[in-house]
Amino acid sequence: MDFVGQIVSYFYQYFDNAAFLILAAVGLILIYGMMGVINMAHGELMMIGAYVATLTYNAGTPVPLAIALAGCAAGAAGIIIERLIVRHFYNQLLSSLVVTWGLSLILSQGVLVLLGPSTMNMPTPLGSFSVGDFSFGVYRMVLFGVAVAMIVGIWMLFRYTAFGNRAHAAMENPRMAEALGVNTRRVYTTTFGLGSALGGIAGGMFAMTAAVSPFFGQSYTPLAFITVVIGGGANAVLGLAYAAAYLAGVQTITSNVFNQYIGYVSIMAAAFVVLLAMPSGISDFIERRRMRSMQR
Amino acid sequence: MMLELSSVCSGYGRVRIINDVSLTVSPGEIVAVIGRNGVGKTTLMKTIIGEVQTHSGTVTFRKQDVTALPTSARAKLGIGYVPQGRGIFSRLTVGANLALGTGVGTASQPNLERAFEFFPILKKRLRQPAGSMSGGEQQQLAIGRILVGEPDIMLLDEPSEGIQPSIVQEIGRTVRLLSRQQGLTVVIVEQNLSLIQAVADRCVVIDNGAVIATLAPDELDDPETAKTYLAI
Ligand SMILES: Nc1ncnc2c1ncn2[C@@H]1O[C@H](COP(=O)(O)OP(=O)(O)O)[C@@H](O)[C@H]1O
Ligand SMILES: [Mg+2]
Repeated sequence: MDFVGQIVSYFYQYFDNAAFLILAAVGLILIYGMMGVINMAHGELMMIGAYVATLTYNAGTPVPLAIALAGCAAGAAGIIIERLIVRHFYNQLLSSLVVTWGLSLILSQGVLVLLGPSTMNMPTPLGSFSVGDFSFGVYRMVLFGVAVAMIVGIWMLFRYTAFGNRAHAAMENPRMAEALGVNTRRVYTTTFGLGSALGGIAGGMFAMTAAVSPFFGQSYTPLAFITVVIGGGANAVLGLAYAAAYLAGVQTITSNVFNQYIGYVSIMAAAFVVLLAMPSGISDFIERRRMRSMQR
Repeated sequence: MMLELSSVCSGYGRVRIINDVSLTVSPGEIVAVIGRNGVGKTTLMKTIIGEVQTHSGTVTFRKQDVTALPTSARAKLGIGYVPQGRGIFSRLTVGANLALGTGVGTASQPNLERAFEFFPILKKRLRQPAGSMSGGEQQQLAIGRILVGEPDIMLLDEPSEGIQPSIVQEIGRTVRLLSRQQGLTVVIVEQNLSLIQAVADRCVVIDNGAVIATLAPDELDDPETAKTYLAI
C-alpha cells in the first residue's frame, strides 16, 4: 500500500474541502458579520460570476482576467441589489432572508429564461501532480491558496485600514459613527459590494471545476449558509476560518471512513453539535469569553 | 454667528419634543444648556447634529443651512458631538477611536498631538480596548477624539455624568482652555452647578422642549434659582 500517497491524499482532500467552504462562504459571512443580513442570493451572485468567467474565457480572455471580470460583475450586481433592496432590511435577519431568497429565485429563473438550461464548461487549468499511485489536481491547491489569501486579505483590510476602522465603528454604533463623519450607508454599500465581488470571484473559480448552469449557485448555498451560521457574526473572518477548519475536518474523515454522501451529511451533524454548544456560532462564543476575561 | 437655531421643532417620529427653540451661539462662546431631567436637552443636541429630525424651523451652522443635511455631512462641516454616555466604541482600541475623529471637520491628517496635549492619559492607553477604561478616561477620550479632527464647535452632553469630581474639574478647565486658547465654540449640557459656573458664559434654560430663560452663570448662586432650573 502506498502510505505516503494516502497521507497526502487525506491532506489534499482536507484542503480541497476547506477551500470549497471558505470560497463559498467568504462573501456571505463578510456581509453577515458587518450588517446582520444573510444574502440568500449569494449563490446566484456566484452563478453570475461563473457565467461571466466562462463567457469571457470562451471569447478569448485569459483565465485570471476572466476571474477578475467575474468579481467585478458580481460586485456591481451586489451594489445594485444593496441599493434597491437589502438596504431596507439591515439587522432584520428573517425579512432579509425572505427577500433575498425571492431574489435568488428571480435571478436563477431569469438566467434560465435568458440563456436556457444547457450547461457551459470551462476546462480545469494547471494539470496534475502525483505522489505514489495518487494523482492530484494542481488547481485545487490554487483554490485553497486563494481561499487563504481572501481570509488574510479581509482580515488586513478590516484591521489595518481607515476603511476597516470606519466599518468597525459603523458596526458597533452606527449613530456615533455618523456623528464622526462616517457615511455609514456608503460603508454598507461598499462592504456588500465587496462581499458580492468575492462571491463572483469564487463563482468564476468554481466554473473551472463544475458545470455552469442557471442553478449553479444551489450547489454552494447550503454549505455556505451552514459555514456562516457555525462561524457566527461576532468576528466574521475568524469565524469563517474556524468553521471551515472544523467542518472540512469532519467531512474528510467521514467521507474516507464511509463515503462521499455520508461525508456531506456529516457536515450537517457536525454543525448541529456546534450549535447545541454555541448557539450563536464559534466566533460569538470566543468573543464573549474574551470580553468576560477582559472585564475581570 | 457660529450656530443659529430659528424656530426649531423636532422630535422622535411624529412625537414632538423640541418646541419652537431659537438660539444663537457666537464664535468662541461657551453656552450651557440647563434644565431638569427629560426636558429635551439631549434631544436638542441630537437635533443640532442631525440624529433627530427637524420638523420645522432651520439650523444654520456658519451661515450654511444644514437642516436637510445628514449627520455625517454636519460632522464634516465641523460640528463635533460628544454625546451623553460618551459614545465610545468599546471594542476598538483607544487609538482607533481617536483616528475616527479625523472625520470631524475637513482635516486630512489626524491631529493626535492636540488630543494628547489636553488629555495626556490617552497617549499611554493607545493600544488598549477603549471599553476597558474608566468612565472618566472614556469621557476624556470622547472629547479628545473630536480634537483629532477640526471642529469649530463642540456639543458636549453631560460630561460630568458618572465621573469622579476631580476629573470633572479637570474637564471643566480643559473646556475653558479650548475655548479661550483655541477659539473653540462650545455648547454644553450640564446639571453640575460648579461645572456650569466654571465654564459657561451664558446659560440657556430648557423646560418642556422650549427655552424659558437665559441666565448669567452667577445668577445660579441663588439657591432658589438653582433649584428651579436644575435637577438638584
Ligand atoms: N429615542 C427616543 N424615542 C422617543 N422618545 C424619546 C427618545 N429619547 C428621549 N425621548 C423622550 O424625549 C424627552 C426628552 O428627552 P431628553 O432629550 O433625553 O431629555 P434630557 O436630556 O433633557 O434629560 C423625554 O420625554 C424622553 O422620554
Ligand atoms: Mg440628556
